Amino acid sequence: MLFRSFTTGRLGTIVAFNVQNYIRVFTDPEILPMINNSILYAAGSAALGTGVGAMLAWIVARTNTPGRVLVELMPLYPILMPPIMKNIAWILLLAPKSGILNGFLRENFGIQQLVFNAFTLPAMVWVFGLACVPLGYLFLLPVFLSFDPSLEESAYISGSKPMRTMLRITFPLAFPAFLSAFVLNFLRGLRSFETPVLQGSPGGINVFVAKVYDSMSVEYNPGIATAYSTVLIILSVLALLFYVRATRFSERYATITGKGYRVKVIDIGKWKYATFLAVFAYFLVGIAIPFVVLIVVSLIPYYDYETFMMFPANIDLSNYHRVLNHPSFVSGLYNSLFLSVTIALVTVLAGIIMAFTIYRTKVYGSKVFEFIGTMPLAFPPLVLSLGLVIAVIGTPLYNTLWALGLGLFVAYFPYALRNASGAIVNIHKELDEAAWVHGARWRHVFFQVTLPLLKPTVTGALFYIFIEAIRNIDVAVLLVAPGNEYGPVTLFEYFRVGQWAEAAAGGVIYLIILILAVSIAKFVFKIKFSL
Amino acid sequence: MKKRTLLAVVVSIFSVTVALGSVALAASAPSDPFTKVSGELYAKAKQEGALTVYSVWDVEHIVAILGAFSKRYPGIKTNYWQGRNPEIITRVMTEFQAGRDSVDAILSDNAPPVIRAAGAIMAYETVQKASLILHDPTMPVVSLQIQALVYNTKKLKPADLPKSWEDVANPKYKGNVALDDPMRAGPLSTQLAALKGLWKDDARWTRFVKGLKALGVPVHKSTSAMMRLVIAGEYALAMPALLHDVVNEMGKGTPVNLVKTASPIVFARYAGIYAKAAHPNAAKLLAEWLISTEGQATLDSIGREASRKGFQSKTSIGHAYPAGTQPIPVHDKLFLEDPKKWLDTNVKPLWEG
Repeated sequence: MLFRSFTTGRLGTIVAFNVQNYIRVFTDPEILPMINNSILYAAGSAALGTGVGAMLAWIVARTNTPGRVLVELMPLYPILMPPIMKNIAWILLLAPKSGILNGFLRENFGIQQLVFNAFTLPAMVWVFGLACVPLGYLFLLPVFLSFDPSLEESAYISGSKPMRTMLRITFPLAFPAFLSAFVLNFLRGLRSFETPVLQGSPGGINVFVAKVYDSMSVEYNPGIATAYSTVLIILSVLALLFYVRATRFSERYATITGKGYRVKVIDIGKWKYATFLAVFAYFLVGIAIPFVVLIVVSLIPYYDYETFMMFPANIDLSNYHRVLNHPSFVSGLYNSLFLSVTIALVTVLAGIIMAFTIYRTKVYGSKVFEFIGTMPLAFPPLVLSLGLVIAVIGTPLYNTLWALGLGLFVAYFPYALRNASGAIVNIHKELDEAAWVHGARWRHVFFQVTLPLLKPTVTGALFYIFIEAIRNIDVAVLLVAPGNEYGPVTLFEYFRVGQWAEAAAGGVIYLIILILAVSIAKFVFKIKFSL
Repeated sequence: MKKRTLLAVVVSIFSVTVALGSVALAASAPSDPFTKVSGELYAKAKQEGALTVYSVWDVEHIVAILGAFSKRYPGIKTNYWQGRNPEIITRVMTEFQAGRDSVDAILSDNAPPVIRAAGAIMAYETVQKASLILHDPTMPVVSLQIQALVYNTKKLKPADLPKSWEDVANPKYKGNVALDDPMRAGPLSTQLAALKGLWKDDARWTRFVKGLKALGVPVHKSTSAMMRLVIAGEYALAMPALLHDVVNEMGKGTPVNLVKTASPIVFARYAGIYAKAAHPNAAKLLAEWLISTEGQATLDSIGREASRKGFQSKTSIGHAYPAGTQPIPVHDKLFLEDPKKWLDTNVKPLWEG
């Protein structure tokens, strides 16, 4: 793709090798407003998502909030909903003229003013920010579960109140993991596709990734698309440099040490009801309300406000009938389950090994691996997908499930790496050093010291990558081959041809399967995921 | 002399016999060019044994088409991949540059001309060209893209409707029009090319494009998604919608209808044969079969527009519009050969200037 960015020409032919694409990119008068929008959108979403995720993780891990089983699960379920489903649901809720909320205010309170508007920057931040919460939660939860309570106890003994202790001791210690999650969410925001296209473009809010998409979809010019992508890469590298600088004394934040301890749950008194409500509120906006909207839309003949409000008098199962009879539904579901499990296992293991190499060995240039390993995040998925197609097209992998597996590995490896890095930083080196002193080799240190301590993080990352991969559309879309269907792409086809009701029906079926799978894993097989 | 006479009689009898035999053979030969060519192509296609199609159409439609094709022509294993036009173009061009032969036929409207402009389409002229409403000498036109002006019946009263495509640019519709992106090789750009050719009046056409721009509405990149927003009531008018979508939605009882005074715009949906196709005869057979009455009936059964003259279907102009409605085709040579170049030359200066 880098090579392509230095080429100009029309479709199918490379005319010249030069820097014309870059000249065009950096002289584009729209570039600054787009960068501004992109940063506001990505930073706003990352702040909302990571902040709420951190708060939920703290509530679950460290407080005596009632209804523990529910409270543990509620922050996790929203991750199961494919992003495009959330976009559809929130557009239906917040659309200015046809939205459910504005319609409700108009019909019941006579408010003619359009209070909500799905096609604004705050609405974009709201929808994508909600999608960022699970990542923040999964990154922060193991950290809060692994705290050495003596640090907080010291504060209490010195007369500090719980809230002050939380702000001055607990949250600063979680800073590296918070920053990891924030940077990842920020990068996801920079390259996210669905929300800018579905909510931004109709409102005239152009973010940078839309330009990359236009270069591909309007001009069919991978060269200019990749040149535009380099701006995203530059922004991503700047974000990473900021991250590295902010965590350069990361050892100060190590909270897992050689001392024995037991995580302390804080009695927050009457506030425990408020924290329960906070978790429940997130559950409502994160999945329950969008899910209900999708269920209703999937069960009515078509969507408009009047038809929506007539439910259940107008139930129509034809959308489900169509989806269940879709030619690729079962094979696509099987392929996506198989690949997602495999990719989760492989990427997490590879991520841990690389993080261990970076932070626990003295391999020359290992810090560079961190940049290389994170670099795929800088590519918009469509461009990444195209790059992978170019990379494998001359090999027997092309048009096989293996190519799709490779694409998913490249796409999700940065998540595994960042997750493992954050966790390894939190394990004090004294534990490794104790093993080294006793003559252990690196593999003993890795398998018998580091890996067991990473267990909560590993299960969290496995869970997260499995869920992300099983609902992936953007990377898979060009790598799906004739005869090798992929479940989410199959469902997305409905959306592409404007069949939102069928897409909603497919999304509901998919979501029910995932919720059942997670619940069975949790309650029958006692798999604790990140908990 | 007798010998000569006898020889002449024998030769004469033989000649008459051969001549009569030829007449008899000619009488039994298929007069329909499709029957003849399909027999030849099927024999070769069976040897090729497979066919892979890339298409922008719904998967269920592709499966129905390929299912009917396989039933008619057993022994050809069919396969498909469905994507949007940009993805099809990107995929085909990437494979073309790498020398891959992964695809045989491309079923779409706006993708094949762009791919052809890049040299990745094998020229093939259908033997059924006389039967077609639109004909392209290098790519068989198997169906039509028929653009309709559509409105939400709950949002606009008949008295308030625009009378023509040109009326949509009236400032009174500001905020009510779901507008396709005119800078993508999609339905609106096709419409602009068609109207430019119809009007032959550059000043009028320029006013129209600038009028659309002056509406100040955001542009969309999916006609189907625009249709959904019109049905939901977010917009009152779709500029444009596709007739098969409209007919399908009206059948479900959705609150949309056609502005029947705005003549439909027609454009080709092609079966482009990939330049490096591994199974070119199977691809040609599919194209010919789709144009045949049997293929057109299959397209009609899934609600797709027919390309064959006189073929009455649910989505034909004769069925959906008043008698005498004249469709507006695209004649612009540059647009048909290289839509991207046409957009850069004609629309870009007005839209982005």
